[in-house]
Amino acid sequence: MKILVVDDQELNRNLLRFMLEQEQHQVALAVDGEEALTVFDEFAPDLVLLDVVMPKMDGFEVAPLLKAKSAEVYLPIIFITALDDKSSLEKCLQVGGDDFLNKPFDKVILSAKIKAHARTRELSKKTYKQNRELAYYQLHTEREHELVEHIFDNALENRFLLPELIEFNLSPASMFNGDLFLMAPSCTGGVYVLMGDFTGHGLAAAMGALPASKIFYSMTQKGLSVGDIAAELNHTLYDLLPGNMFCAATILELNSSGRSFSAWLGGLPDGFLLSKDGKIKQKLTSRHMALGILDEYEFERDTVYVETDLNDKIILYTDGVIEAENNRGEFFGEERLLRKVSAPSFTELGSIVESVKRFTGKQDQQDDLSLALIKCLPSPIKPKLSDEYMSTPLNVSMALDAERLKSTDPVLDVVEMICAIKGCSDHRSNLFLLISETFNNALEHGVLGLESSLKDSDDGFCQYYELRAERLADLTDGEIKLDISYTPDTPKISFTIADSGSGFIKTDAHDDSNFHGRGLSLIKEIAESVNLNECGNKITVTYSLIHS
Amino acid sequence: MSLNKALSPDGKLFTIEIKGKFDFNLVQSFRSAYADVGSSTPKVIIDLRETEYMDSSALGMLLNMKKSLGDSVSGIHITNCRPQIKKILQISRFDKKFDID
Repeated sequence: MKILVVDDQELNRNLLRFMLEQEQHQVALAVDGEEALTVFDEFAPDLVLLDVVMPKMDGFEVAPLLKAKSAEVYLPIIFITALDDKSSLEKCLQVGGDDFLNKPFDKVILSAKIKAHARTRELSKKTYKQNRELAYYQLHTEREHELVEHIFDNALENRFLLPELIEFNLSPASMFNGDLFLMAPSCTGGVYVLMGDFTGHGLAAAMGALPASKIFYSMTQKGLSVGDIAAELNHTLYDLLPGNMFCAATILELNSSGRSFSAWLGGLPDGFLLSKDGKIKQKLTSRHMALGILDEYEFERDTVYVETDLNDKIILYTDGVIEAENNRGEFFGEERLLRKVSAPSFTELGSIVESVKRFTGKQDQQDDLSLALIKCLPSPIKPKLSDEYMSTPLNVSMALDAERLKSTDPVLDVVEMICAIKGCSDHRSNLFLLISETFNNALEHGVLGLESSLKDSDDGFCQYYELRAERLADLTDGEIKLDISYTPDTPKISFTIADSGSGFIKTDAHDDSNFHGRGLSLIKEIAESVNLNECGNKITVTYSLIHS
Repeated sequence: MSLNKALSPDGKLFTIEIKGKFDFNLVQSFRSAYADVGSSTPKVIIDLRETEYMDSSALGMLLNMKKSLGDSVSGIHITNCRPQIKKILQISRFDKKFDID
């Protein structure tokens, strides 16, 4: 141990040094308080033996200064004194001394006291070290949390918002939310929402939100049904989450007209469809187990389909809302929630969260709270279409003889081929319609010689297609030629279909009851121009790729 | 291309989903699908969410269905149409004959 001896008497200093060095301690000496302060800084002692009466700065004066220099770790100060009056001894302790040693020195007692104080100092050093480690880890964890929070914010932030239709309020119990609310537009112009509640709360519960959100966004972009999205989420969460963790969820798609929605309901508390004036029209009761519990083959993807009136409201929430408990052990409950939502004064979800918090009073929030309110209104979403086109012109020709016509249905192949041209893919349904109508017209009437009038009755309609299949199977002669061109300047697809027959049978396209005339009128509406040759065995259709 | 049908447990909704291509290739299966509509006069939902392609033969099939089902169903609702498919139905004035959203 390093011991600093402070005494103005040379004899005492030397005696103490001798005794301490015998005990294998390192010793430094100072003649008064002032010198003690200087030596202290260089020597960094573990213990100080301090005389009381000294010139310049006495023991009482220097003791608190020495203590202050060692604020973090316990520095034992033992006063060496010839004084034995009670008030002097009391003062020693008051100014920061920890013990006394009476002159003349007793070697045994000195050694025992040093050992006792050394133990306390060791303990204090250990605590100090642990505190520092703890502070370090705390800082480290905080930094990690900040990083994770950043990732969560980016992954879960709803970049797509639709405040006129959908309001939501998420109130997590801690920094990380085990509840989840996501929205995405659908390709039919409607909107998807997902409300999820992972088991527990905090970081562990929030972890599952990352893969869940990724899947939700990619599946909604593909335009899958809510049941299929649920199946995909279930599959991934089942693989990923530990057995005791899962995600109660409602996945809902509101139709673009706002007049119906479909929903997959798995494990969240009952949602409600409310009329404009707040009356319950339908309870949306969970029909499935939460996501991540069932294996793929056990999973059920069936959904509810609900028709709504404009301005109906759908309310969804997690159990944190209705299970919020007050100090009497009562739950906030479904009834209170519904009363709030249907009250004429109800304007926004924040007021419900406020009431829940008022209800629970001073108690800490136990679980994450989430609420969403969806208004059944036509959605303002417009599908995004590409406006970039391939810059190279292209011509493709094909001739299909009888053998080829028998063995293939080329319509979809041709459409897929055209859709590979940059800028055409958004038009696949229209291109299919145009090519299907013209090609089938050429095949059925030109090559196979079928009569459209057969299609006038329900049975005839089927007979027509049976006859089509029969004649096609027996076909020996006939040909259909297809020339397709893409022009990039004002982006257009043009195609000509010519058949080996003697001419199309033209029908009156304006007679609504005449099914088979509908084909030509559709073509005329969708195409930019349609040209039939005189006998009707060759048709040229031009379709503009510029969005109207 | 595929066709799925399902009657809801309460017998009130009969759903037909058509995936991919809705054209003459489905004549038989579409016709037999709505033959199973049952006696509970359900509402028929034609879910076209995953219908990417459709031509006039599909329109003919829908009209035949309407004629054939008549009063044995409480309505026919064509739902989840993609914009181009919806336009085809509108051009053909199907919105006058069917409930389209």
